[in-house]
Amino acid sequence: MKKIATICGYIWAVLCLLIVLIMFPGLGFFSKQLASLPFMKINPIYSGGDVEQIKECKNYTLQIHKPVFEALIGESSEGFIQISWIWKDSLPGILNDSIDYNTDGKPDFIITVYTTNGDIQINPLNEKVKALIASAQTENGWIARIKLKK
Amino acid sequence: MKSDKVKLPPYTTAGKFWKSLLICLPMIFITFFFLTGGEPDFSDTTNSIAFILVFLFLNFLFFKIIYTGKTDKFRATGFILFAVFLSLVFITNMVETREGMSFSSADLLECNIPFCHIVITMILIPIVFTNSIIFPGSILDGFAPVSTMLILWILASIALGKGFCSWGCFYGGWDDGFSRIRKKPLVKNINTIFRWFPFAVLLLVALSAAMTLTPTYCEWACPFKTVTEFEAVTSTETLIKTIIFLLLFLGLVIVLPILTKKRIQCGMFCPMGALTSFTNKVNPFDVRIDKEKCKDCGICEIKCPILSLDPTSIEKGKTHFVCSKCGKCIDACPNQAIHYHIKGTPVNKRNTTARTLFVFSGFLFLAIFSGGTFQMGIIRIINILTTGSFF
Repeated sequence: MKKIATICGYIWAVLCLLIVLIMFPGLGFFSKQLASLPFMKINPIYSGGDVEQIKECKNYTLQIHKPVFEALIGESSEGFIQISWIWKDSLPGILNDSIDYNTDGKPDFIITVYTTNGDIQINPLNEKVKALIASAQTENGWIARIKLKK
Repeated sequence: MKSDKVKLPPYTTAGKFWKSLLICLPMIFITFFFLTGGEPDFSDTTNSIAFILVFLFLNFLFFKIIYTGKTDKFRATGFILFAVFLSLVFITNMVETREGMSFSSADLLECNIPFCHIVITMILIPIVFTNSIIFPGSILDGFAPVSTMLILWILASIALGKGFCSWGCFYGGWDDGFSRIRKKPLVKNINTIFRWFPFAVLLLVALSAAMTLTPTYCEWACPFKTVTEFEAVTSTETLIKTIIFLLLFLGLVIVLPILTKKRIQCGMFCPMGALTSFTNKVNPFDVRIDKEKCKDCGICEIKCPILSLDPTSIEKGKTHFVCSKCGKCIDACPNQAIHYHIKGTPVNKRNTTARTLFVFSGFLFLAIFSGGTFQMGIIRIINILTTGSFF
């Protein structure tokens, strides 16, 4: 029995050495396999949620994301909606868009971005729309997150 | 032999040049392959110098580990320099791409933040409940994506157990280095109850991250932001966060390790260390104490940098399960009573095969993981010396 345990111990140890050997050459393959698992996606709190509407404008593309009300269990009473602008040619001086995130045919808020100084104005037309919580200029556009109540 | 201090450890390789070199041959070939990417190209002088220096340095360290029979000193040299070089390369990369060490709101909103293994402690519960990763990083693309870092940690933990904390973690070298500055500790007799503190931190960060769906330790308590990247100070909140991580780095990584000669951050605070401790249970390598040789001198207990030895564990003939297999106690034992061991094999003797298998696995991981960073760091240093610019 002791001999079997000894042999098993050594086999186990050699397998560990082999794991180190294959780990780095196989890193790309293993990473892709892991990334394909259903839980390997960034939480909408960070990714901004899936894009639900795309509007093509003259100088830019407007992306309206799905509202995010993430919680550990169920949904939170507070969330946000992410709006993204992607430039086509050059940076427009002012962006002014009315957003209908719940697709009821009526705009829920109007957002104005002064791209030269980064000022953003929100004009809520729906009581569930609250204030701007984050915004940033990206390499080829602008991102804004607006707080929502459920 | 004049005294116990100069007595060579009873490994069949210790002091035997050709036998040691033979054992080092696979390491020489493997490191050559990985450092050159399998396609040796010596057309660029700077790259060639960096490759030669790193190749010689890593193989010299491994040869010394085998030839002298001493582990810790040579492991720590590579481990500490890895931490320093990683910070050098990381910070200079940040300066190049973002013109500073801070990341912006755009980086956060676009999920461009590199994922580090410590975040794993915070994503586990949310994965179960939300089926997603609560981190503003990338799953597969960019620098340090989530899936790559997860795979690295999982496989390294299977192969080395908590040895990852002493052979692979690119942060651990900082407090390992500072804990070696003084010859003798100013603060002695640290209660071993503190080895449970990382488990409390782990519980706290795992629960707080789950409740808030934010990586709370990264946002509020990670001292290593000081040597990597941090959120730009744009508000009172970010200012408070910055003060906290700077103070934690100063206290846990610099001052306390210098005063105590212990790895305070790794052994008494890091939640990842606590989580990785459990992987010692599924790893075949451990550290045992030969009770027949042990004279209960307590030197191992004093030397252990993460409080994994105490009279109870010595009495049981093994280290506590938080042991990171750094080899310091093995090297320090004047009676050569402590040794690396493979579970299932006979205990109570220093076994060359068990030691060689573990140090080969551990050092191979360190060498491959750190090799690219060392080369990049040397290239940056050569650039700054010759052109005045890192790039």
